[in-house]
Amino acid sequence: MFRIALKMLLGDRGKYFGIITGIALASLLMIQQPGILISIFSRTYSFISDVALPDIWVMDPMVKYVDDSQPMLDTELYRVRGVKGVEWAVPLYKGNQRVRLGDGQLVSSNLIGLDDATLIGGPAVMLKGRLADLRLPDAVIVDEAGATGRLAKPASPGKKTEPLQVGDILEINDKRARVVGIARAGATFQSQPIIYTTYTRATTYALSERKLLSYILVKAKAGEPLANVTERIRHDTGMAARSADEFKDMTFLYILNNTSILTNFGFVVIVGFIVGAAVTGQIFYNFTLDNLRYFAVFKAMGATDRMLRRMILLQALLVGFVGFGLGAGATAVFAAITRERPGLSMTLNWQLLLGSSIAVAVIVLFAALISVRKVLKLEPAVVFK
Amino acid sequence: MKLKNRILPGLAALGLIVAIIVAVQAERRPPPAQPVAQPAQAPFKSYIGGAGLVEASSNNIDIGTGVAGIVQKVLVKVGEHVAIGTPLFQIDDRDFRAALLVKQANVVKARAAVEEAKATLEDARSQYALVSSAGDQRAVSLDDVQKRRNAELLAKARLESAHAAVTAAEADVKSTQIEIERLTVRAPIDGEIMQVNIRPGEFAQAGVLTTPLIKMGNLDQLYVRVNIDENDAWRFKPQTAAAASLRGNRELKTPLSFVRVEPYVTPKQSLTGASTERVDTRVLQVLYSFPRNALPAFVGQQMDVFIETPEIAPVAPAATQSGGVTR
Repeated sequence: MFRIALKMLLGDRGKYFGIITGIALASLLMIQQPGILISIFSRTYSFISDVALPDIWVMDPMVKYVDDSQPMLDTELYRVRGVKGVEWAVPLYKGNQRVRLGDGQLVSSNLIGLDDATLIGGPAVMLKGRLADLRLPDAVIVDEAGATGRLAKPASPGKKTEPLQVGDILEINDKRARVVGIARAGATFQSQPIIYTTYTRATTYALSERKLLSYILVKAKAGEPLANVTERIRHDTGMAARSADEFKDMTFLYILNNTSILTNFGFVVIVGFIVGAAVTGQIFYNFTLDNLRYFAVFKAMGATDRMLRRMILLQALLVGFVGFGLGAGATAVFAAITRERPGLSMTLNWQLLLGSSIAVAVIVLFAALISVRKVLKLEPAVVFK
Repeated sequence: MKLKNRILPGLAALGLIVAIIVAVQAERRPPPAQPVAQPAQAPFKSYIGGAGLVEASSNNIDIGTGVAGIVQKVLVKVGEHVAIGTPLFQIDDRDFRAALLVKQANVVKARAAVEEAKATLEDARSQYALVSSAGDQRAVSLDDVQKRRNAELLAKARLESAHAAVTAAEADVKSTQIEIERLTVRAPIDGEIMQVNIRPGEFAQAGVLTTPLIKMGNLDQLYVRVNIDENDAWRFKPQTAAAASLRGNRELKTPLSFVRVEPYVTPKQSLTGASTERVDTRVLQVLYSFPRNALPAFVGQQMDVFIETPEIAPVAPAATQSGGVTR
C-alpha cells in the first residue's frame, strides 16, 4: 500500500515538484534569513569573542556597548590589579581614528591598542606576519577585511585597488604606521577596518585626550567565581566590571533595542513560514483532491482509516524531507561559501537547523491534516459517481 | 521505485548532510590568541599594584656644569665605572689660560719691582748712612740729614708695597688656576656613567637642562620607584613584602626591600613614557631596592610591582551599589 502511496505522489510530477519547491523555498527563507540575522548579531560582539583570553572586562560605568568606549584614567589599571581574585589585568585601547591612505583619502578605522608586554587581545589568526612583530617601531597589524577592502591601496587610474601588504605605510592622525601583519578578525557590526597596535603607540596615534584607557581586561584567579570578582572590582574601584558573556549580552541587547534589524528579518521569516505553509498546504490538498478517486477505491477495497492516514502522512513526510533537504543544502552551500569572507555572511548552527526542520514538519503535518480530514470523510461510493 | 525517482530524495539527503556538516563546523571556535608573554601576576593574597621605574640607588644624577662653554674633551664613556673625583669632561679653557699668562707675567713684573725697590732702599740707606755717621754735625745741614732719612723710610715702604704687589699677583694667578680647574667637571660620587649627551665641540649650557650633559648613578643597588594611585594610597603599609617582575617575562621577578616613602604625593609621570605626559592623577611614590644581579634590569625600565597589604574585611555585596552598575 505504501508503494502505491509513493507511486501516487511521484506519478503526479507537476504537483510533486510544486510541493517540493514550496517547501524548499520556505525552508530556504527560514534558514537563511535567521542565519544572516545571527551572523549580524554575532558581529555586534565579535570583538569581545575575538579577545577570548580574559574573563572580565572592566570599563567606565557609562559604557553602553562595546564600541562605545568611555576612557578611564591610566592608573585605574593598577587599582584593578590590586583587587583580590584578579590573576592579571592588562589595558586595552579601542577607539576610532582616521587613517590617511596614499591618495589622501581618509578612512575611519577602529584602532586597538594592546598591552605592550603581553599583546593580550590580539587577533587569533595571523595570515601574514607575527603578532610579536607589533613590538617593531611604528608597527600596526591590519585585519584582512580592511586590508582588502577600505584600506586597500588606491588604484592608479584604470586599475583595481591592491590589497594592503606587509611593509606598506599608512598615516594615522599624521603619524607614520607600518603594516607588519595581516590578521583575520571577526567582522564588526560597523564593518570598519581594524588596526591593531600596542597600547603605548595607540596613545600616541590617538588625538590628544586626557584619558585613553578604554578597557581593562582581567583574568580571574582559578577557582574564584567570576561574579565575586566582578563584584569586588565594582566595589573597590567604582568601575563597571562585566564578565565577557555579560558584556556580549549587553552589547547585543543594545543593538537589538536601538535598531530595527530584528523586526525586518523576523518579518521575512514569518512571511516565509506562512507562504510555505499556505503554498504547500494548498498544493498538497489539491493533490489529495485529485487523487480522491484512488482513496475511495482503497476504502471500497477495505483499507482502514489508519492505513489511509499513514499513506497520506508518508506522502507528506517524503515531500517535507525532500523539500527541506534541498533548501537546507542550498543554504548550507551559501553559508560555506560566505563563511570566510568579509561582507555578507550567514551562520548556520544546529539550533537553526533543528528549528527550521520543526517548522517544515509543522507545515507538512498541517497539509497532511487537512488532506486526511477530507479523505476520512470520503464515501467509498464517490468512485462510482 | 525507478532510479529517476530517487534523484530528488538523494539530493535532499545530500543537502541535509551538507547542512549538518556546516552546522557542526560553525560550532567550532578558533582558539584564542595566546599572549606573547604572560602578564604579571601577584604573589600575595591581598596587595596593591603599581607601576615601577628602575633608578639608581643614588638617584639618577644629572651632571651639569657651572661654567658654560664649548666642550673640549669628554673623558668618560657610557657604562664606565668612575671613582669620586674622576674628571668627566672639560670645557674650553683657552681664554682663562691666556689670562693666566698675563697674570703670571704680572708676577714676574711685581718681583722685578721688589728688586728695584730693594736697590732703591739700599741706595737711600747708604746715602743716609753717609750723613748720619758724620762726626761733626756742622759738616752737614740738618735739612740734608732729614731728607736722606725720609728717603730711606720711603724706599722701605716702597719695598713692602712691592712685596704686597707680588702676593696680589700670585693670588691672581692662583684664582685663574682655580677657574681653569672649575672647567673640568668631576664625578661627585663613585658610580656608573648612564648617559653621555655631550661631545667635544658642543656648547655645554650651565643650569638645569632637560637632557642632562651626563647622567650617572650608583648602580650597585637598584631602586624601584613605585607609583601608587592616590586612591589606593591608604592601603599602603610600609615594611610589608613587595615583589617586582620585568615586563615581557613574568618569570623574571625579585622580592623587594623597602627603602622609603616619598612623603609628597606627586602628579603621575612615569606611566606612559610618552614625551608629552598627561597628568591623570596624583601618585604616592615609594622606593624599594633590589640587588643588581637579581634581575637583568636596566635603569629607566618599567616594572610591574605588587605590594602586600593586610587583608581587608570583605564588604557585603548588598552595600556595593556604587558606580551605577545595574547588571
